Amino acid sequence: MSYYFAIIGTQDNPLFEYDFGTSKQGGDGIARFTEQARQLNQFIIHSSLDIVEEVQWTNGQMYLKLIDRFFTSYISCFLTASNIKFLLLHQPPSSSSSSGLPASSGASTLTSSSSTTLGQHPPTSTSTSSLSVIPSLSTLTGGGNSSTTTLVGGGTSRTSTSIAANPTSPQTEEAIRNFFTEVYENYVKAIMSPFYKTNMEIRSPVFRARVAAAGRKYL
Amino acid sequence: MQSADNAPPNDPLASLPMANPTMKPLPSKQRGQPLILDSRPLSQPEAQPSTPIRERRTNPSAASLFRSTLTPPPGSRSGSPASMGSPARSLTGSVFGSGGFKQSLLDTAAAENPGDPLNLILKSFVPHIAIHDSEDVEHLVKEKGFKGGLFELLRPFGERVQGRVIIRDSNGASRTWDDFSVRFTKFGEAVEDPDRLPDPRSLRGPPPNGQPPGRKKTSLVQQVEQVVEKHLGFAEEEASMGTATPTTPTRQGLDTDATSPYYALYIRRLLSGIPMASHETFSHPVACVIAISSRHPAPIEALRQLYSETTPAEQRIPPWIDGDFLRYYVLIHDEERSDITKSMQLFDQMKRHFGLHCHLLRIRSSQSAQTDDDSIPLPRSDWMSASEELADIERSEQLKDSFDDDPHLFNRYIFESDATAIRTFIREMVIQSIIPTMERNVSLWNDQVASRRRGISGRFMSLSKRFTMFGSSSSSSSSSRNSTSTSSNGFDTLGYYRPDTPEAIMRRLADFAFMLRDWKLAMSTYDLLRSDFQNDKAWKYHASANEMAALSLLIMPQNMSSKNRVEIINPMVEQALYSYHTRCSSLYGAVRSTLLSLELLRLRGGTGIDESVRWGTRLLEMRLLGPIGDALLRERLAVCYASKGGTGSQLWGSRRRKSAMWSVLAAQAWVSMGKYLQAQKCLADARSMYSLLPSEWGVQGFNGASEFLAGLNDAVRDGLKLTREYAGALEEAEGGHGQNNEGEGLQFDESSNLGIPPKATGEAPPDKPETKVQVDVEQDGFNGQSTMSSQQAQQQAQPPGAPPQIPTPTASLSSSSSHSPEIDSEPVPPQSGGGFENAITPTPTSGNSPTRPRKASMAVRASRVLSAVDLEQAGLGPGPGPGPLSPLMPARLASGSGSGSGSGSVSGGREDSSKSSSKEGKDGGGTGFG
Repeated sequence: MSYYFAIIGTQDNPLFEYDFGTSKQGGDGIARFTEQARQLNQFIIHSSLDIVEEVQWTNGQMYLKLIDRFFTSYISCFLTASNIKFLLLHQPPSSSSSSGLPASSGASTLTSSSSTTLGQHPPTSTSTSSLSVIPSLSTLTGGGNSSTTTLVGGGTSRTSTSIAANPTSPQTEEAIRNFFTEVYENYVKAIMSPFYKTNMEIRSPVFRARVAAAGRKYL
Repeated sequence: MQSADNAPPNDPLASLPMANPTMKPLPSKQRGQPLILDSRPLSQPEAQPSTPIRERRTNPSAASLFRSTLTPPPGSRSGSPASMGSPARSLTGSVFGSGGFKQSLLDTAAAENPGDPLNLILKSFVPHIAIHDSEDVEHLVKEKGFKGGLFELLRPFGERVQGRVIIRDSNGASRTWDDFSVRFTKFGEAVEDPDRLPDPRSLRGPPPNGQPPGRKKTSLVQQVEQVVEKHLGFAEEEASMGTATPTTPTRQGLDTDATSPYYALYIRRLLSGIPMASHETFSHPVACVIAISSRHPAPIEALRQLYSETTPAEQRIPPWIDGDFLRYYVLIHDEERSDITKSMQLFDQMKRHFGLHCHLLRIRSSQSAQTDDDSIPLPRSDWMSASEELADIERSEQLKDSFDDDPHLFNRYIFESDATAIRTFIREMVIQSIIPTMERNVSLWNDQVASRRRGISGRFMSLSKRFTMFGSSSSSSSSSRNSTSTSSNGFDTLGYYRPDTPEAIMRRLADFAFMLRDWKLAMSTYDLLRSDFQNDKAWKYHASANEMAALSLLIMPQNMSSKNRVEIINPMVEQALYSYHTRCSSLYGAVRSTLLSLELLRLRGGTGIDESVRWGTRLLEMRLLGPIGDALLRERLAVCYASKGGTGSQLWGSRRRKSAMWSVLAAQAWVSMGKYLQAQKCLADARSMYSLLPSEWGVQGFNGASEFLAGLNDAVRDGLKLTREYAGALEEAEGGHGQNNEGEGLQFDESSNLGIPPKATGEAPPDKPETKVQVDVEQDGFNGQSTMSSQQAQQQAQPPGAPPQIPTPTASLSSSSSHSPEIDSEPVPPQSGGGFENAITPTPTSGNSPTRPRKASMAVRASRVLSAVDLEQAGLGPGPGPGPLSPLMPARLASGSGSGSGSGSVSGGREDSSKSSSKEGKDGGGTGFG
């Protein structure tokens, strides 16, 4: 099971992104997304905002549960005040290495080309894309960017009985609720910072660590 | 009903070809095109809907003739289903736009829009009329230039029965239809063996070992894919010649009413060759035209002979077809060689012998040439089956190489008087014979068979029948059960229902009702049949009945709520899909049922759109389609989502982000197949959809997503550029046709196809070199993407030389954009043409590896263009393809990208290439070939 968690601002802009794997059942907490899946995940999350905008009016809860599905990717949502949304994309382990799309054979050529372009400039890409995330990355315990890309190929054995296996089960729902609630508490604390303004990217390393901890704890 | 595109009925041209926007005959003499194009009038028309500009330039008269079908009529757009479906609906339900509309789908504009799938459905499930002609008729028709016999001559005319057709439904209410059509088939052809399980499961895998590679054995879906592939390849090739604008310039955003011509073609070909199978009777002959000519020495005997050949005793039709169809006797009078008085006498004699179903068709026997005064072009049939069209395309490809092109092979002409006579004949036959016969049969079968089953006693009867069957199967032998046809229908021994069993009759009743557009009767009958077939475990019948029940339920006016609809229709489609696919492994049925349900659900609007997309993703998930169909379906899902309107000023409940994502996915699929034109169109769709979002950034806030988009964009641009370079080189090598058009074509392409007409053209002065235009447009269109890539590729921020022009959705939130660093860098990209080039320079400099696959595949393509091999493998196998063509690669790389390393060199190289393709000539050709 791989997770991709994103906090989306009012302008469809990501305020915070974090992907991680399951830590239950001996999982190592590292996401098994390929590079293409990683990019696709962002499209999926973004497109799910359409569903969020619709579902948010039907439900008084902040936790909207499972709202959308894209092939093997399931999206759960948690609404906060001021139209900031938490979205969690979770993928059952069976297809963790593939994007879940019926990508034809040629799709891989595109991926390879784009990933090689990435790979050619490792210093520039990391330094510019995450200007201020870099220090926080080093403090993180879990998977950083470099480690995930190298570990993508070797997925561990699939866990079949856990919440990971069946994303629609009530247990999974409950676990995600707990995760969201904990992240929400930390999020509220994080944005209480006097230097934070709406729609700013959250770059606090403490917050990232706490999200990681919540992920380890519940998912 | 028919709106603006309806030409006056006495116009011989307009009344025929308008059914199909994708196929139009084009007189080839006026086109100022290279020779290689001239020799292919066949697949030429398919490129037209996407290339109206070229049409206007090269062939104004044809363009004006076909203007009405080139673009959908403006009138039909106002009442589009998207706008009827859900807007202005208050938040009563739990979900936005839950309603959908209540009337029949036929009352919507989509039913009249020629390319629309609903229209295609109406036009495809039509009465089939077999044609059985004597040899002298074939001789006569062959003299006119039709090798396929009378069938070939009549077929285009059946696609639109002239005038209005009045049909009475089972309640006696009559309704008129403007667009009734019939389909002509050759007698005894296209029969599907009921026992054969025809379709290999997957298209992607190698064909099953037992299967010979001949095209006869490939499944229908594969053939359809091949046809569309050929058309795509042709469009691409043509565009690469610089003669066409790659996308429709008038298109703004996703036009939810206009169907993509390729998708329409896909559906059309899927529906045009409905095999004559036992489980559905649509392609069974409703009537049979028995034709002799006035030249026959013993006409009455010949008619008798032909008649006896059409009876089931002759074994020319499979036993599951009811042999009791209508016979229609036609005497073809040769106006030029025969005596009309004799023919009249003979015709009177025929009437005496055979009753009223006779017609005297007077046509001229000589061949009509284009230069004749009263000749009109005979349009190619819109509904030829995929295999036929493939054969035609292949023939034209062979002809293309040898320049002894026979213009009469594909562009044929007939005399106007003949056309009028044939039209009158068909109208008379349909109105006076076929429809009354069908109506009579419907009411007869409805009274005698179906209504008995509908009542309480009928249900009890079927129950008791089942019970006795159950009891008898243990006690008595199966042969005794077969003899008593009341207790058993013989399905389990024969594998099909004999035509006189109640099940078969009811199926025919339902199909007739469907063809006569009596949806209610069809629906109720299909519904009865579903359970019957399920009890008999006749799975293919079961699947088909489910499919048609779902379709007729979707078309007919319905009052059910969306929840009910989901509960009723979804299981039907599900059953159809499951039975077709899993139980019968009929790929064709599975694809057809799902695609058609998808289309109709889309037209229902509201939540139907979500349902339709669900079916679409299901189809993608099952990987039933080949690569072409896959990409087309992705494109279609984008259209589906785009056609869902929202509520309120924020358009809550719309699916614009989803639509944009599917466009991107479709673009990805096209790129991976090397179909860059389509990819470019999809990218433009995605871009315009993102720009419609209330938030100003689209998906650009996401690093990975925007990188992905930028990568796609680069791939498309490189692909298009390389195609064009090669085509330019090719043209030079061939002697430089169309040099004048090349330059302006190029420039127009670049500014138009990226979807931002006003700004791009305004910002690029006309005397600028093309490269500049390209760069400006690129970065303008994909602002954020270039932001990201340029951010990552370069550290320096360009000094703001030019005033920053923020792209389409201008910054309404300047307050929020003032403080965060990643927004601070936003003004960088808009002004920096150089910055964007820097962003892409590393590609050629630091390694050719990322560009190599693309270039190599382009090399493959170009060499294909050279050798005029079919383009099929280039699309299906998009990989690097180094194998036999590897000698081409170094040359390609040396000439294209290896020329330099800096940013200036890239632009220089690009400029070189475009220049060489446009003006200079021999140099470009030389480098292109290495």
